[in-house]
Amino acid sequence: MAMLSESKHTLGTFEHALENLRNNVMMMASQTERSLNRALKGLMDRDDKLAALAIADDEEIDQLEKQIDKDGIELLLRFQPVASDLRRVVSAMKLSSNLERIADQATNIARKALKLNKHPALPEILLLTPMQDHAIAMFRDSVDAYVREDAQAARAIIPQDDALDKMNAQVSRQLIDRMARDPEQLRGYINLMFVARHLERVGDHATNIAEDAVYAVAAEDIRHQQVAARA
Amino acid sequence: MVVMENEKITHPAPPLELQKPPEPELRQPVMINVNDVDFCYGTHQVLFDVNLEIPPRAVTAFIGPSGCGKTTLLRCFNRMNDLIDGARISAGSIRMEGRDIHAPEVDVVDLRRRVGMVFQKSNPFPKSIYENVAYGLRVLGVNKKSQINEAVEKSLRASALWDEVKDRLDSSAYGLSGGQQQRLCIARALAVEPEVILMDEPCSALDPIATAKVEELIYQLRENFTIVIVTHNMQQAGRCSNYTAFFYLGRLIEFGATSKIFSNPSERQTEDYITGRFG
Repeated sequence: MAMLSESKHTLGTFEHALENLRNNVMMMASQTERSLNRALKGLMDRDDKLAALAIADDEEIDQLEKQIDKDGIELLLRFQPVASDLRRVVSAMKLSSNLERIADQATNIARKALKLNKHPALPEILLLTPMQDHAIAMFRDSVDAYVREDAQAARAIIPQDDALDKMNAQVSRQLIDRMARDPEQLRGYINLMFVARHLERVGDHATNIAEDAVYAVAAEDIRHQQVAARA
Repeated sequence: MVVMENEKITHPAPPLELQKPPEPELRQPVMINVNDVDFCYGTHQVLFDVNLEIPPRAVTAFIGPSGCGKTTLLRCFNRMNDLIDGARISAGSIRMEGRDIHAPEVDVVDLRRRVGMVFQKSNPFPKSIYENVAYGLRVLGVNKKSQINEAVEKSLRASALWDEVKDRLDSSAYGLSGGQQQRLCIARALAVEPEVILMDEPCSALDPIATAKVEELIYQLRENFTIVIVTHNMQQAGRCSNYTAFFYLGRLIEFGATSKIFSNPSERQTEDYITGRFG
């Protein structure tokens, strides 16, 4: 059975470097969440200022990703961590990559919001509300499972991605139906479809984060299990 | 008897491969079997109920904090502890290929030929390079020059030293560098065609390049020999061993494939030790 040791390392610099890496991941996660919230609020409330802020957030998040990679590589180089320490470093670096891509999805949503906000509001935007709530919940829960080192909670997130995929398919069908009936609004509906797609991608990255959390805690690689089972 | 077929080992030693060799299955024939061993120095017990199966033709690393008993156990394997007054196995037995090494009929000199040893600090004899390697053969009564020549060259090639010393075999072994001296000691151990080689922190006095050469040698030798290495260097254990045994306060805490021990140990004490939380 895998374990994550709670006691401190004898080598203080190593302890400090691991702590610093973890803090940066947590900071990046909180900035990503803020950016995603701003983008979605900018879309739903037709607030260009919030959408612009979400786009601006991306630069800082990109820098944090680079910092986490740099710190992770230095940790591997200087301290050659093993066992749970190694898993912590590897998962932190993988997590940062997924957070950065979620932030990219936030930027994409914000850009679509700026385009949609130039035209009269589409009532169909409300079709996205359940997807938005589901994607944000998946993201929050996956980061929370990682921070609390809770493998059970992380595992519980994986099946939720299927629900999000189904929501995306349903929203797409509904929007295609609207396009047929009201071609005037084609551009707007296409942008809403893109937003649905971006939310679906947020769910994919949240799933990756949950998988990395399971690896960090339980030393178990649970990725691509459905594919393996089918093979 | 092990035949050294090491012609493919060339010098300079190839770079250390980062990729580990496929690890042999754990449940395979056992070279050394340690059964319920207690060990005492006088009245002071230092090993408690140790059970261990050392697989053949693989590198097994003993790790653990100072005083945990790993060197004591290593020295049991060729009865080096017989030389210490009051030191004895007080319970249990050690079997090599099924035979109790403490059985009355066992010839200790023959046991030590079969189980060679390399120490922390290189200890060449004050003789020529050639004579250092030939020494064990002469002790065994081998006098035929051609036979000794052949064994010296084979051993020096196997220890990746031949190309560095072939033109000065008659020079003093003391003229070699520390790393070369340690490889000479390995060659000396190989010359008598042992089955097991015990290494007690063989690289602790060497620089990183000499360490890499000895580690590469250990990696190559595992094809023909059973190697047991005591090391305080966790990265070294990770790099060159197939199996790792972790000892703490005289007890074997965990034994398993090195990749498992260093990625996902089963015991909390192992985890805390290898990640530098105590010891």
